[in-house]
Amino acid sequence: MLVRIGLIAEGGYPYVNGDARLWCDRLVRGLGQHEFDIYALSRSERQEDEGWVPLPPQVSRVRTAPLWTAEEDSVVYGRRARRRFAECYGELVAVLCAGGAGGAGGASGASEDTSAIEADRFGNALYGLAELARDEGGLVGALRSEAAVRALERACRARGALRTAREARVPDLLAFAAHLERALRPLSLDWYEDDNLGSVDLCHAASGGSAALPGLLAHHFCGVPLLLTEYGVRLRTHYLAATDSSPAVRSLLAAFHGRLAAETYARAALVTPGNAHARRWQERCGADRAKLRTVYPGMDASRFAEVGEAPECADPDTLVWVGRVEPTKDLVSLLHAVAEVRKEEPKTRLRIIGTPSGPEGAAYLGHCRALAAQLFPDEAEGPHTVGDNPVSFEEIGSPEIPTLADAYAAGGVAVLSSVVEGFPISLVEAMFCGRVTVSTDVGAVVEVIGGTGLVVPPRNPRALAEACVALLRDPERRERLGAAARARALELFTVEQNVAAFHGIYLEIVSRTPVRRVVLNGAGAPLPFAVPAEAHVPGRWTERSARLVARGGPARPTDAPVRAGALPRTEAAR
Amino acid sequence: MSGLGGLDRPGAPASPGAWDERSEEWLATETLVPETDAAETGVAGTPVAETGVRESRVDAPPTSQEPTGSRTTAPRPTPTRRTGADPVKALMHRHRDLCERAVDPLEIAAGLEAHGVTDRTAARFLHRDVFSLAEEMYARVARDGETPPSPPRLPTPRARADWILLTLLPGALCAAAVTALHLTHGQSRLIAAAAGALAVTLALRSALARGPLATTHATRPTATRTCWLLAYALLGDGLLQAAATGGPDTLPTGTADGPWPLTTAPVLALALSCAPAAWCAHVLAVRARRKLSASRALEDFATAVKPLLLGTFALYLGALTALLTLTTTALDEPAAFPQTLTLGALLLLARLLTTHGFTHAPALVLTATVTAEATALTALFTARLPGCAWLATPVQSLIDAWGPAAIPTIACGVGASTLLLHAARTLTRASAHTTADQSW
Repeated sequence: MLVRIGLIAEGGYPYVNGDARLWCDRLVRGLGQHEFDIYALSRSERQEDEGWVPLPPQVSRVRTAPLWTAEEDSVVYGRRARRRFAECYGELVAVLCAGGAGGAGGASGASEDTSAIEADRFGNALYGLAELARDEGGLVGALRSEAAVRALERACRARGALRTAREARVPDLLAFAAHLERALRPLSLDWYEDDNLGSVDLCHAASGGSAALPGLLAHHFCGVPLLLTEYGVRLRTHYLAATDSSPAVRSLLAAFHGRLAAETYARAALVTPGNAHARRWQERCGADRAKLRTVYPGMDASRFAEVGEAPECADPDTLVWVGRVEPTKDLVSLLHAVAEVRKEEPKTRLRIIGTPSGPEGAAYLGHCRALAAQLFPDEAEGPHTVGDNPVSFEEIGSPEIPTLADAYAAGGVAVLSSVVEGFPISLVEAMFCGRVTVSTDVGAVVEVIGGTGLVVPPRNPRALAEACVALLRDPERRERLGAAARARALELFTVEQNVAAFHGIYLEIVSRTPVRRVVLNGAGAPLPFAVPAEAHVPGRWTERSARLVARGGPARPTDAPVRAGALPRTEAAR
Repeated sequence: MSGLGGLDRPGAPASPGAWDERSEEWLATETLVPETDAAETGVAGTPVAETGVRESRVDAPPTSQEPTGSRTTAPRPTPTRRTGADPVKALMHRHRDLCERAVDPLEIAAGLEAHGVTDRTAARFLHRDVFSLAEEMYARVARDGETPPSPPRLPTPRARADWILLTLLPGALCAAAVTALHLTHGQSRLIAAAAGALAVTLALRSALARGPLATTHATRPTATRTCWLLAYALLGDGLLQAAATGGPDTLPTGTADGPWPLTTAPVLALALSCAPAAWCAHVLAVRARRKLSASRALEDFATAVKPLLLGTFALYLGALTALLTLTTTALDEPAAFPQTLTLGALLLLARLLTTHGFTHAPALVLTATVTAEATALTALFTARLPGCAWLATPVQSLIDAWGPAAIPTIACGVGASTLLLHAARTLTRASAHTTADQSW
């Protein structure tokens, strides 16, 4: 059946320099049988200026809104609206001052009930503010007003507030009020009407945090089910990013993001983490295990097909490392490991292929080059030939290595020596190329590699060396593991599996939690049987060619019933 | 994770208290080289740890229990390392910044993961996952004795040459225009007057475009009203006087002694007072920010800012009085203190409020003032129509009692005091001083 999907991205998809645009683009292009409405929140003026990527025809509408700026509309609240705002906002900040959902994971018994009540209060306050914004407008101005700061101060000084919140000073209050205003900007959007997010069959938020807010509100206002995809957990990103504020601001912000994440996980129909690491965080933040479906990110396998299908072209004595040069990649450890390997297998060479990221990476690369020159003297085949260093530093795009696939093709064994890693993309690429890998046990490495490569503890050059030697000496095992790795990658990490997984998830959500819309006639009264059964069969039933009118059957009414969305009345969508 | 039994687990301390103390001493006596990230390890290039801190980073000897099941390394004898009895304490010491800064366990968990701690590492600390390890670390950080760090000073706006020069420009141009008026005659005086008015207007515009008097808020256009008020200060009293006595019969000649005299001294003083006005606004902004960073409650801030606001206001009025005395003496014109001071106060307050985001009240009050002045003039002229003579009575009686200056003084005075009351309420709010991101 045709599903109309509202894809909500923050700083992402349709923008040329968006974050997850490649993934979203593949998803939208891969699911041509569905219809997509894109709702994009832009992160900066520059992002808006740089424009959009070309959109496929299945994108029927794009709506954008800036997150980086908010105009105050000149709405001045009356007494009733002011009181409503004060109630909702006071409730919201009171919940935040009472602490985040962070500790809720380990709570049990009575405190679990309390935390459920608190979560409920948070949700109610949030939706209350959203309803206020929808009814009256002017929420931006209200969030910036003195009344908001006063409510915040009262909440911070209230009994039972967090210790850090009690210590909040006036600048902290102002800073947090400003943060909250920025975070709640999606509440003021006009996306939650029946002709916008109310008209889609499901909302797909491409990340947590701000992008999930419109989805939450669409769920609240119009009952649209929400699908949340998180490749990196937004809450965790927030913890790592916000370090320069005062403790009071950070604790309140942490509470807000924690509560928001918990609310999103609770309301979402399904949550799809990108790997087990994200999944653990989501479970920790209160996501129901039954709602979680890990969908691995998809990568384009066709680039590596040629290399992957010809494993014999590899140089058996060469180790290859591909990636961006950064201190967290621990190349020093790798160089020491190779020094150990060369004691046992003197013919071994190492090719480090990658560009430094940032000035820190450049300095690190220089340091690694110096270390390589110290550890490995240049060597030549005979007394009359020019020597060369067994460790080479190269970049993709050089004449020897024109493409990424050639980088992996250059070696018999791919090595990953990181001490910190998220989802190891270079490992997946090596697997696509059918190369056996030796990697450190960090991040999602074990999850990605399965049993198809060797894993050693991080910061252990000796273990890394021993694993490499074992593989260098055993070509058969190398080939076997390489083939297994390629098979595993093709099974799990292709774009096709990603798209197919989302296709299935869309259908599952739509079949389990369909949006029931009442169709109204011109006078605003509900029309029974106005949504025909054809709406639920495959294909675009609205197209003329797809219409099957039984011969002799009743003639279709001339004035076609309109969907509730076309009318200004909104309550029909409940 | 099945084969953890084979890992070289550090023994849990039997009595945490004693072990804590001992290891504390032990840690304190060692040369501490806190290790922040992988880079430093790498840079040091030391494969074996030599400090107490790093010793207790529990490196499990490579074991056969790789999670993949691939046996990669043979067990080898562990180098003799002293392992701290309380490995979590050592870990906390290594990440003490993170632990002290953290506002909840999840922040420690995120930080630990960013430093490469995984669930498998956490298992060596006898924890199920990083989260529970982080919880222990969070719980063990001593928070009671520590004093909250002194609040960082908020960045205060700096006085910059560009806006200081720009605020001097209207005064300079106005002085030049007045000089030109005095030196020229006839046609060329008209041209000089027109050019001067245009130049001063443009200079005012640019002076208000940046610096402490600039506004980042969407404003209601009040330029017309301000121009009208200034024009009234220049021509209004003369016109009112002339109208009251049956004139004016000619257009103003541009001198102070014609039938429709020009009062240039107040306008020149007001133009010159752009610089002190900007300076006062700057002082107010800087001091208010300092008070903001120093105050703990919103009430404290309001109490502290009120005298500041009034002081700044008085400072400006003082500066304007001095300038007015100067210009009156220099141009040898009759002193016009009441109407000029009230007008200056009104304009300053309106601008201050606009700058801090309160655009509604200034626009309203300026409109009211303009209307009052215009009504007075219109009333005088309308009274000449047959049967409408009564219209002029209130204005006429005011003029008779206090002279033509009474009209603008009352209009601006009422407006200024309204705005002053409003400012005392609004500009003492903390939220009025949040715009820290102004570029000046």
